[in-house]
Amino acid sequence: MHPGIYETVLDWVPEGARVLDLGTGDGAFLERAVRARHLMAEGVEKDPDLVSRCIQRGLVVHQGNIAEGLDQYGDQSFDYALLLGTFQELVAPDQIVREAFRVGRRVIIAYTNFAHYRVRLQILFRGRAPVTKSLPQAWFRTTNLHFLSTLDFREFSRQMGVAPVRSAAFNSSGPVRLFPNLFAEEVVTLLEPGNA
Amino acid sequence: MSAAHQSDASATETPAGIVQGDLQDQKIAGYQSLLGVTPIQSVTLPGLQTQSGFKFDQVVVSYQTLGRLSPRRDNAILVGHALSGNAHVAGLHPDTGRPGWWDYHVGPGKAIDTDKFFVICSNVLGGCDGTTGPLSPRPDTGKPYGTDFPPVTVADMVAVQAKLIEHLGISRLLAVVGGSMGGMQALSWAVQFPERVRVCIPIATCASHSAMQIAFNEIGRRAIITDPNWNGGNYTPDCRPTHGLAVARMVGHVTYLSEYAMTRKFGRSLQPRVPAAADEAALFAVESYLHHQGESFVRRFDPNSYLYLTKALDQFDLFDGQPPEEVLSRLKARFLVISFASDWLYPPAQSQALVRWLKRCRVAATYINLETLYGHDSFLIENPEFAQVVRHYLDHELRSADTAKEAPAAG
Repeated sequence: MHPGIYETVLDWVPEGARVLDLGTGDGAFLERAVRARHLMAEGVEKDPDLVSRCIQRGLVVHQGNIAEGLDQYGDQSFDYALLLGTFQELVAPDQIVREAFRVGRRVIIAYTNFAHYRVRLQILFRGRAPVTKSLPQAWFRTTNLHFLSTLDFREFSRQMGVAPVRSAAFNSSGPVRLFPNLFAEEVVTLLEPGNA
Repeated sequence: MSAAHQSDASATETPAGIVQGDLQDQKIAGYQSLLGVTPIQSVTLPGLQTQSGFKFDQVVVSYQTLGRLSPRRDNAILVGHALSGNAHVAGLHPDTGRPGWWDYHVGPGKAIDTDKFFVICSNVLGGCDGTTGPLSPRPDTGKPYGTDFPPVTVADMVAVQAKLIEHLGISRLLAVVGGSMGGMQALSWAVQFPERVRVCIPIATCASHSAMQIAFNEIGRRAIITDPNWNGGNYTPDCRPTHGLAVARMVGHVTYLSEYAMTRKFGRSLQPRVPAAADEAALFAVESYLHHQGESFVRRFDPNSYLYLTKALDQFDLFDGQPPEEVLSRLKARFLVISFASDWLYPPAQSQALVRWLKRCRVAATYINLETLYGHDSFLIENPEFAQVVRHYLDHELRSADTAKEAPAAG
């Protein structure tokens, strides 16, 4: 993930918020967020070695597979549910987003934009599945199951009945303000329930 | 079995060096404890009424303390032992020289670091290793209680531990830790004494036994009470129902292992016979091993105690028929819940169900399901992943206890 994504999330999440980080990895970001924003935070991670790293950081962490649901959490137990870097790896992202909105009031999702111009050019001129900075792995090795653009994400939100209220886009040279569907490599969006 | 045969079977180290079962039942060549020889103490505590209404005028408690209590008395960790354990948690036994049952994980620099924490472990009420139990003399007759001993519950065990903690001048425990039956004690502590537990670490345990767990225990109990020597529980020291208890232990021991562990350790290998008898079928190594486990267990365990403690396990219900939300909303402790993917006796699903209740009641609960391959016994063996999780969690709690600058717990 682009470091700007994490900075943006830190900026959006208010002091003392209750945060659930889905696919928290080794907990490096969540630990930072907890310190910076005094969050009441918890991570979910399926790999026991990474869970162990989170414990080392003093985080509250739950070993579980988010694809199997978040049954352990009650409705609206969190102010924010985060899906940073795991969204495209989920078999059924629509179900996870629905579940994230059950346990959290707002959801923040980060994803890689497949309509970035370099991706388009690689497909157009090389006729091959793209390999770029933000999509660094060959097609047979990537953990991403789904490929989408910012336009696709907007349509997905509409179909899910949720509203993207804030977005930030980045590429290797920094924030992207113009034509994000063409120039953004990575995008983070804050979603709220209800259509915009 | 010949004596030579027995000692063969007791060489329980696998090729990988994994020693399974209670450490105190092993003979491990050259084993050295970082703690050296550790004394076991005993104290007589004033009266106790059990959940069933029985009144003890006094209760004797066998216990061990390791490490140093801090001046603020805020670094105490109570360790609950499992069914076959006792107060001798770590270090070498003063009489037998054998290591304590959790010597792998309690000691200087270990998962529960005796350089940082004051560790307490006591034999449970109803046990047979120094704490009041069915073997203890009745005050009126001077003879053992036997089956006149009142039914014991996990809550009773915890009530006795609470008296011991008071006796030691500790008002609040930094942590209560335990596996299996010890985990039930940890859970009970958090519910019975919410103000007195900062952290609860239940390992490979559950909120209540399933039909399968009760079933295995009942096989063990049945083996004991159908042993002709059981005699309604009134047996004498030289005529005990040792066969029944040995069978109970054999069944129990199998449930603590995993198929992987047994295949790796024994496979279908045969036990060498001394002397070889041509007309006898060859003995599989696993059979010989179980015989040995049964035999060494009966030497140190009381059959009636086995009946009482397994009943306490089966009766245990953390929620005790109340709505879980009501029981858990009283909790103050933070939780670290640990299960093992290969544990089929206390399957991870039971820990996950517990965690689900905790989280739904907004208790701060961390959960990890470790991939150790050795079944229920995974918390008893040398297990670096497990040790790391417990050590890191406790370290963090110790640090946050220091930074929180809580009012010193009055002794």
